[in-house]
Amino acid sequence: MTESAPRNGRLEGSRWTPYIYIAPISLYLLLFQGYPLIQELMLSFTSTSLLSPQDSEYVGIRNYQDLIDASDFHATIVVTVVYTIACVVLSIGLGLAAALLLDRPFLGRGVARAAVTIPWAAPSVAVALIFTWMFNAQYGIFNHALRALGFASGHENWLDHPALALPAILLTTVWQIFPFASVVLLAALQGVSSELREAAVIDGADRLSVFKAVVWPTIQPSVALLSLFITIWSLRRFDLIWLMTQGGPIGATNTLVIELYRQGFVYRELGFAAAVGMIGLTIALVVTLVYFHISARAERAGGRR
Amino acid sequence: MRSTFNWGHGLRLLAIVSLLAAAAFPIYWMLVTSLTPSADLFADTPHMLPDFSRIEVFEEVFREIPVATWLANSAIVATGTMVLSIALAILPAYTLSRFRFRGKGALGFTLFVTQMLPEAMLVVPLYAIFGQLALLDTLTGLILANTAFTVPVITWILKGAIDGVPIDVEEAARIDGCSRIDIVLSVVIPLVAPTLAAAGVIAFFHGWNEYVFAQTLVSSQSLQTASVGLAGFVGELSTPVHSVMAVGLIYTLPAVALYLVAQRYVVAGMTAGSVKG
Repeated sequence: MTESAPRNGRLEGSRWTPYIYIAPISLYLLLFQGYPLIQELMLSFTSTSLLSPQDSEYVGIRNYQDLIDASDFHATIVVTVVYTIACVVLSIGLGLAAALLLDRPFLGRGVARAAVTIPWAAPSVAVALIFTWMFNAQYGIFNHALRALGFASGHENWLDHPALALPAILLTTVWQIFPFASVVLLAALQGVSSELREAAVIDGADRLSVFKAVVWPTIQPSVALLSLFITIWSLRRFDLIWLMTQGGPIGATNTLVIELYRQGFVYRELGFAAAVGMIGLTIALVVTLVYFHISARAERAGGRR
Repeated sequence: MRSTFNWGHGLRLLAIVSLLAAAAFPIYWMLVTSLTPSADLFADTPHMLPDFSRIEVFEEVFREIPVATWLANSAIVATGTMVLSIALAILPAYTLSRFRFRGKGALGFTLFVTQMLPEAMLVVPLYAIFGQLALLDTLTGLILANTAFTVPVITWILKGAIDGVPIDVEEAARIDGCSRIDIVLSVVIPLVAPTLAAAGVIAFFHGWNEYVFAQTLVSSQSLQTASVGLAGFVGELSTPVHSVMAVGLIYTLPAVALYLVAQRYVVAGMTAGSVKG
């Protein structure tokens, strides 16, 4: 009756069946992702102007050399790394706090869980719009609040201040993405064994020890995966930063993607822009490979169920 | 002992209330600002409560600003992205879940790598490709570009759901003589309908929110999406702030409402997709 079903219960089919099924998506991604990516890689070895792209000149690795030598570009890398790490740490930290708060039952928990995810559903352009208004030097609510609390000036020009712009962008980003972390961690917390937790409490463990011994090992893989996702998203985030500060003032919020866009569409140096893009992509790939390497090792060591 | 417990309870409640207030405040502030007269927006003390007697602002902006066109374009792009993403994702999701074949790992890795590519990086080559395919300055072009970024995520989420469908169900249909495509469409897909809905919402969101392509691949005013229209107002004070915030809210609320309606499934779909990796 089931003699034709191959091992592990898979249905019979020609050996070409899977390839026929994945052909459309493969062609699609090849045309709209693979081919442009290769074009971009080739472009990064040329000097090409947006105004006359047909007059492209092969320059070898000069774009990369120029970037490596430029101190502005070092600053861009530093801003990107600081922004990315801060996004990961703050979003996961706040997301975990929110998840722990919303994990235990209370009246209205369902509504609270839904409400806390609203920022994640808000479109980035709208988020940039309202936060830019909230950060406004004269009329913004943040400065109103500072004045009400008795801070001397209370006229900080948040988005145009070299030391405040990045924190302001970070606040906005974290507001938008911490709900994602909290949703994922809330799901992970459902996997925490209540017997183990109760046993630890009976043994007299305090909250922190219970967290370290029982909760953390269960949610640790989710935290690792969230770190990877938030890293990748932070490396490519464009709308929010471009609309709020365009990378300024004096490069304070100039991440790699902002630099890429500026090189391409403001300075019209397509080759240079492509080289910036390739460096950003390399960083993302390295982070991903490191993640998979570490998680594979943890799995082999039995650290992950 | 008892009083300590109540202390902790009170603190926890305070923390929950602060968290919700922080999450909701910017949206609330968009509402308050849209309902405050211009003169009062520039006063020394801010209005903290919405003045609902000014609700007609939301009607006026439709006359002053081409909001209706923007929203219609965004809706077309979002719906097209959703439909095309799902249509393209079903078979590869099924294949990744059910078959073992050479190149499976490569496909999975490719789907993941697409998540690292910034739109801003691909926009220049895409501009050239779209020029050759006569897709520049069309909403179809935006749908195609957006789908390239959503289809990998949707595939991954659907694969996670199909993993949970027992193979016996398919074998029973197979014995009844159904072809495999029939089985996928009429047996497997109905069983993962909630995840399909979640995937649809996620793709719709992406299309609704997308900015870079809509800004660069389309030039006609009549094809402008809401994201591009609204982006023109960021940090600018010459258009009345309350009108701009009203438009912002009109653009934000459908996304938030859709998300809240489908929230249970979106969360389940996202976490299944991400937790399983």
